[in-house]
Amino acid sequence: MLAGGLGAGALIALPDLSMAGRQASTSPLSKIAPAGQRYALLYGTLPKSSSGGQIAPAVTPTSKAKPLPPATPVAVSLASAPVLSPDQSSVALITVNSVSGGSAVTLTLVNSSTAAIEAQGTVTVSGTPAGTNIIATPVFATGTSTIAVVLGITEPTGHQPAVKKGTGVHFDATTWQSHHALAYFDTSTGAFAGPFDLNNGPALALHTAAANTSDLFLWTTPEPQITAVKGTASPLPTVSVFPLGAGTPRLTAPALAPWPGHEPVVTLASGDVARFVNGSAVQVVSAQNGDTTQTAISALSARPAKPSSITMTARPDGTLFLVKPGIGRAVIADPAASFNIKAQVDFPVPGVPAGGLVHKAVLSASGETLYVLGPTKTGGLAAYDVATGKMTASFSKGSISYTGLSLLPSGNLLAVTGNNPRLAYFSPTLEPLATANSTLQIAAVY
Amino acid sequence: MSGYDCAAAIQDVYQSAFDEEGRDPAFWLRYFNPSPDADIFSDDAESECIAAWASGGHAVGCISAPVPQSLLSGSEAEGQADAQAFCASMLSAWDQVGPLHLPSNNQLYCWLDQEYDTSLSLPYWTGWALYIANYNFANLKTYPLYPCVYCTPSSPFANCSTFAQTSGLSIPEAIWVPVPEFCNGLADPPSWQAEECASGSKVTTKLWQYREEGVCGLSAAVDLDVGAPGFNVASYCMLVVSNP
Repeated sequence: MLAGGLGAGALIALPDLSMAGRQASTSPLSKIAPAGQRYALLYGTLPKSSSGGQIAPAVTPTSKAKPLPPATPVAVSLASAPVLSPDQSSVALITVNSVSGGSAVTLTLVNSSTAAIEAQGTVTVSGTPAGTNIIATPVFATGTSTIAVVLGITEPTGHQPAVKKGTGVHFDATTWQSHHALAYFDTSTGAFAGPFDLNNGPALALHTAAANTSDLFLWTTPEPQITAVKGTASPLPTVSVFPLGAGTPRLTAPALAPWPGHEPVVTLASGDVARFVNGSAVQVVSAQNGDTTQTAISALSARPAKPSSITMTARPDGTLFLVKPGIGRAVIADPAASFNIKAQVDFPVPGVPAGGLVHKAVLSASGETLYVLGPTKTGGLAAYDVATGKMTASFSKGSISYTGLSLLPSGNLLAVTGNNPRLAYFSPTLEPLATANSTLQIAAVY
Repeated sequence: MSGYDCAAAIQDVYQSAFDEEGRDPAFWLRYFNPSPDADIFSDDAESECIAAWASGGHAVGCISAPVPQSLLSGSEAEGQADAQAFCASMLSAWDQVGPLHLPSNNQLYCWLDQEYDTSLSLPYWTGWALYIANYNFANLKTYPLYPCVYCTPSSPFANCSTFAQTSGLSIPEAIWVPVPEFCNGLADPPSWQAEECASGSKVTTKLWQYREEGVCGLSAAVDLDVGAPGFNVASYCMLVVSNP
């Protein structure tokens, strides 16, 4: 099991039902890949993990059919949520450790079929003072052996006695300043190149990144600076395009608001990169010249009172699947045709449109069926025919309200809820197949 | 004292909210970076302040809603990075609009949106809260920002249990809790009966969201909120002191 680091997250490999009947492996991290089988990788927090608690194994799932092998702990103390490769064959994990003279950032590639570590490398950021925090974003570049790693490095730059004027509390105030660096991991050699300091401080540590087969696209924002007179416009982000492996950009262009910060981003079939902003528009950055064009998605323009878990994923045919659960709508848009809406499905707003896992609706591999979490009244799940928009199946039991939904490679669905049994497997027709307990408070499924 | 929170710009929702409620809000609560599924207040702070002034609700409270919410189960570095963007977003709004002032009591409550099915980890919260509390806003040396949380104490996911492990400046200054069942209007909010963290908790509920869109058959894209008895919400918000 991968352990150590300054993070809070843990990863558990839960077998898919396709693994029923397989003997529980005595060496779960074996590199022997069982053909046609894969795990669902569960990311989340463990009870008392923040105080050094040990991982507790999940209970073996119970199935109507053959018994399943037990879930397997893979990693603890992760610095951030894993990132799934575009072909879903592996996930990239990040751990960060303080080491003598700096900070060590380790990237571990875990095979999603075997839960085995298939590659690992460490890059050291030298000269970081005690108290430095690093957020690291692995970025897969499709068709290459390169994984770019964007580092948002925040260092303490000063301490001084201070008083919170509002409440009179005395304390030792710390100031921090951030900048970015890049590193590149070669999965074929296990070697890192970098880190390359971008010397762009003071900047906000939050960033957004994506890659095509040749370039890394990186959005960053300068930290607003105080001016003597109020009336300064909000700083705009920039997007820089780095040839994979390079520490200097081949171009940097002004980008549009909003600032980068967790918005969905995908690489288009054209090689351009798109980010889904404000839950209502898509900005596309040209791979050729860095220019940004913004297209409002009118089908998603409605704005409920509260934000929800918006998602955008690229489909094999080049279209984009966008979900805005807060308004109960999913669309398939074609970026090659001005984001023309090719399909739209409306559904009751899920009982949990914002919290928990990010995916509230998923599309079948064929693109013919939309699966979505049920509304507050009924909970459960529902399936819709994408072509007609009509509901074709539903499941509800005691108004169990699931917080997120994943499509497994077998075609089955895995739904997650807050209390044990936290995990429920469903067939493509929403027949309940199995449940599983876990001590993990699940935040994401891969 | 009751007001609205909304993910859309104030100018886009005020009229429909007024038409339904027939009354001006006492305050607004608006979203700042990072909030990927919201219109960001600081992206056009002047227009929003003009609308707030026109609405009669001159106080603007500050929320950040990171999505995916799994982030809140993350590391101290992630919490710190989100808080840094939030502080910069509030500073940028303040800097853009001359008549947008900090509260005169030097206590600006900064709300982290933790939804019902999200676990808040201690490392994330510590990184977030300490950055907020330590922020030297506009180099004024008043340290006016106070970390607060929107959450549901009765949720099976970690929130109050996380707060119980905090100390010093990382203790939330307040929590804001939702209960959607009450459909009373702005002029006649329900009697205070908001959820609290367990008895003996270090954390106090000071704000209550008592009506959510979709529950009461109304169409204005706002939620209604009311402050705890004796708690003047507007005093802990930014204030538009004149028409920009």
